[in-house]
Amino acid sequence: MATLKNTINPADFDDVDYARYPDQFDPVEGRHPLILGNPSFQSVTNDVCGPAEKPMPFGWWVLFGTALMLLGLFGISIGYLVYNGTGVWGLNNPVGWGWAIVNFVFWVGIGHAGTLISAILFLFRQKWRTSINRFAEAMTIFAVMCALSFPTIHVGRIWLLQWVFPVPNQMGAWPNFRSPLLWDVFAVSIYGSVSILFWYVGLIPDLATMRDRAKTKLKQIGYGIFALGWRGSNRHWQHYEVAYLILAAISTPLVLSVHSIVSFDFAVSQLPGWHTTIFPPYFVAGAIFSGFAMVVTLMVLARKAFQLEHMMTLKHFDNMSKIILLTGSMVGYAYAMEFFIAWYSGNPYESFAFINRAFGPYAWAYWTMITCNVVSPQVFWFKKARTHIPTLFVVSIFVNIGMWFERFVITVTSLHRDFLPSNWFYYSPTRWDVASFLGSFGLFFTMMCLFVRYLPMIAIAEVKTVLPEANPHHHADAEHAPAAPSTAVAH
Amino acid sequence: MKDFGLLAEFTTTSGVYHACEKVRDAGYTVWDAHTPFPVHGLDQAMGLKRSHLPWVILVMGLTGSSLAMLLQWWVSVEAYPIIYAGKPYFSWQAFVPVTFEVGVLFAALGAVFGMLHFNRLPRHNHPLFQSKRFERASDDRFFISIEATDPKYHPEQTAELLRACGAVAVERVEA
Amino acid sequence: MSHHAHTIDAGSIPRLPASSLFAKLPIIGGLVGLGALGAALATGMGAAETRQQLWHSYLVAYLYWLSIALGGLFFTLVQYATRAGWSIALRRVFENVAATLPLFLVLFIPVILGMHDLYHHWLDHDVVANDPILLAKAPYLNEKFFFIRAAIYFAVWIGLALMFYRGSVAQDQTGDRTITRRLNGLSFVGIALFALTTTFAAFDWIMSLDPHWFSTMYGVYFFAGCVVGFFAFLSVITVLMRQAGHFGRFLTEEHQHDAGKLLFAFCVFWTYISFSQYFLIWYGDMPEETIFYRLRQTATWQPVSTFLVAGHFFVPFFFLMSRHVKRHRFGLLGGGLWIMLMHYVDLHWQVMPNINSEAMRHHAGHGFHLHLLDGLTFVGVGGLFLAAFGMMLGRSTLVPARDPRLAESAAFQNA
Repeated sequence: MATLKNTINPADFDDVDYARYPDQFDPVEGRHPLILGNPSFQSVTNDVCGPAEKPMPFGWWVLFGTALMLLGLFGISIGYLVYNGTGVWGLNNPVGWGWAIVNFVFWVGIGHAGTLISAILFLFRQKWRTSINRFAEAMTIFAVMCALSFPTIHVGRIWLLQWVFPVPNQMGAWPNFRSPLLWDVFAVSIYGSVSILFWYVGLIPDLATMRDRAKTKLKQIGYGIFALGWRGSNRHWQHYEVAYLILAAISTPLVLSVHSIVSFDFAVSQLPGWHTTIFPPYFVAGAIFSGFAMVVTLMVLARKAFQLEHMMTLKHFDNMSKIILLTGSMVGYAYAMEFFIAWYSGNPYESFAFINRAFGPYAWAYWTMITCNVVSPQVFWFKKARTHIPTLFVVSIFVNIGMWFERFVITVTSLHRDFLPSNWFYYSPTRWDVASFLGSFGLFFTMMCLFVRYLPMIAIAEVKTVLPEANPHHHADAEHAPAAPSTAVAH
Repeated sequence: MKDFGLLAEFTTTSGVYHACEKVRDAGYTVWDAHTPFPVHGLDQAMGLKRSHLPWVILVMGLTGSSLAMLLQWWVSVEAYPIIYAGKPYFSWQAFVPVTFEVGVLFAALGAVFGMLHFNRLPRHNHPLFQSKRFERASDDRFFISIEATDPKYHPEQTAELLRACGAVAVERVEA
Repeated sequence: MSHHAHTIDAGSIPRLPASSLFAKLPIIGGLVGLGALGAALATGMGAAETRQQLWHSYLVAYLYWLSIALGGLFFTLVQYATRAGWSIALRRVFENVAATLPLFLVLFIPVILGMHDLYHHWLDHDVVANDPILLAKAPYLNEKFFFIRAAIYFAVWIGLALMFYRGSVAQDQTGDRTITRRLNGLSFVGIALFALTTTFAAFDWIMSLDPHWFSTMYGVYFFAGCVVGFFAFLSVITVLMRQAGHFGRFLTEEHQHDAGKLLFAFCVFWTYISFSQYFLIWYGDMPEETIFYRLRQTATWQPVSTFLVAGHFFVPFFFLMSRHVKRHRFGLLGGGLWIMLMHYVDLHWQVMPNINSEAMRHHAGHGFHLHLLDGLTFVGVGGLFLAAFGMMLGRSTLVPARDPRLAESAAFQNA
């Protein structure tokens, strides 16, 4: 009886990596190697732990220095704001919400890619996620930190912020649970907490690895405390795997719900351009879109700086840019729906809102958004573009610019010209709006730099599981290897 | 000095997998395997029963959601009822977001702390950390440890079994 | 749980045995379907009121089975786009479901016959001329453009379904791997076209039943229903096929588990979409939007709405959460059948309140009711759909015989 085997051939999809490493294609698995260069478990450990144990490359110092300066700027602008009040920003009547809310949504959106890579790709059994999930999850946590700072400072009297929480107080007053702003407080802080938990759980085995490799007592104790005494016990792995799977399973609806709740900030109103039922999935798709773009931007830099190109491969970029194209198309679909229904509704305020966006005083912002969000990702229909590093870098930055402008266009154009023409006015940011925004990048990059300095930026234990040797039924001779991979893959 | 047990080192995933099957079949109960990453199928090879953690997580999640709904009901109906946007005091629709989020939070806390509880972690001191070879358990080597408290434990015979399974090194670990 | 290669003889690629119940579907389904439809038309065509009922019942039944076929097309596209390995053994099933789409072009004829009863709001020139809102959308909602768009939808759906079906069946003979690659490339374009055509079909055929109402989410809502309905149907078919043993060792508990997971996930997705739509309209409280839900909160419709929420979300959520249920033959069968029922309730709930809507607005109106014509049209369209599906099942092998990744699919295992 003939054994049925996969007959897929690497030439069928002419992946770039295959061209450089032709002998590494696994005809039985039918998939490309996820880590190039014939790695062993030990080489994976060494390659990933290396950056945290060696001196940082020059590029890291440049980025860290710049980030610290911007962080300082952030501190100064927050201090100035708190001392003087929100009048230092460009807010006016009728535009009572400006850059602060735009920046908030921008940062929360970026965070979502990390959870998607960790959780959703895990549920879809996409093994390629293992090289990038640690990095992306860290990005999520830092993005959420940046995001939360904006609602915190935009309330004005931040020394009274505790009243946002449902705690007994001398006035007998309680927060309004029917307000989307309060839902945001719960949603985003819970999202941050669960992301930290998920990230930390994933880190435990890798911290044990760092502990066991530590050359100094200080490092050993430092990593050891947080490794919780992990000793790779399979009885422990059993509970660990369950916890990981269920954390992934609940993080998925968490991601969807958090950005949907953020979209409710706008959609529960009655304002044309804000009140529209497609906002929840539209915002979620947009968040994933911008988040993946940020992951691509950061990965292009990190893999070069730390020589991890054989683990964060062109195949990873290929897959990520496909997701960027997909979610970008969803965003484009939502634009089309809004536009069509604004006309179809026959409601003059709705139609005006959209005509004003495209041809009114903020047309420059609108067309920037369209060019960056709808036009630029189209280049990813072409495989050459998806695996060309400079193109990836440039397009990913355009996408993030476009997504910032999308939130800007939504927020400002609907506010600046609503129902009563006598109320119409133009909004411009002040230098303190700009300083706060730039400063938030300082916070983000400072944290990212510290992360790559001290922690393994790739999930070591997870990456090892995708090596062929991790399969207990793997035999040295690939010809006799079974047709069954240990977990099925789709990518 | 009292024995903690024996520690055997293996170099391949399949080596430790097949060794676990033999140790399980030999009737040992107080033992464990140590791997740098979770090995597919090793739970069955060791004869482990399924984890009860999912139930803990489910209960925690439902508790969280219920508490959140209760909180919102109490605040909006009893403690501080305000008519807002013409909506009823008990606007259950508006309470869904927070209810869902808090449910997820409690479930996540259940997952993490439940896992740590079942694993009895943190435990920073453990006899196995005395072994220098054991440092590679988090790198690229696989281990089986059989504790002296196991009824079938016998220093020489158990070591023989482990060597027969293909261990490249067997050492005695002190308690 | 063996990881070793299945030693499968190439000659054992399964085909549908002539003795199988599925092989008899074309005859049984065809006769029952035609009979039921004939009875429906005979009963319904009499008075004006029963005609209203007939066309609305037919529309619900038509949309129900169409949504399952569209779900099948969508999933075929997605599996090619993602280069999935686990689903290859099942893929012929989805291709066969999608390949019934040409039948729905024929079955659209009664919808056209009933147009003036269904869409009278915007088809009646006098009514439109006096209504500024309807006048504003007349460039879109007019008879001619309606037909042109319907033609485009069917051209895209049938074109895609047949291209993928034919490509897959050709590969059975030749084993040509470039087919996999070509269909992979085509699937991305297909998904984009599918999204747009399905959205506008939902706008045209369901949303325009009340042409004053609108929702940007509606296309996504209909799409969610298509996918849920399809996965429910797929779950049922998977369990029945496994029980009958026709797939041999190609279809395992693992595939069933995955079908169950997808069903669970998309139930949650449907809930998310439909709740979002409801919630935003409830919160904004604007009469031009809330009328949709007001109509479904009358004395007789409120219980149906409650039942829809409880049955389409809570019950499947807690039932299908369990791994054991998804892997157990009656567990997933029960879950699939239940959700197929709830999908019908969903479509019925969307369409029916529009019957005699003037009467409903001004008086207590007809309210929720089940009518013989609901059952007859459901069985009628369903019988013909199952007949077509059964016919497609018998025409080729049950699994894609020479798909390059078939071995992977046969052997895959869940964690």
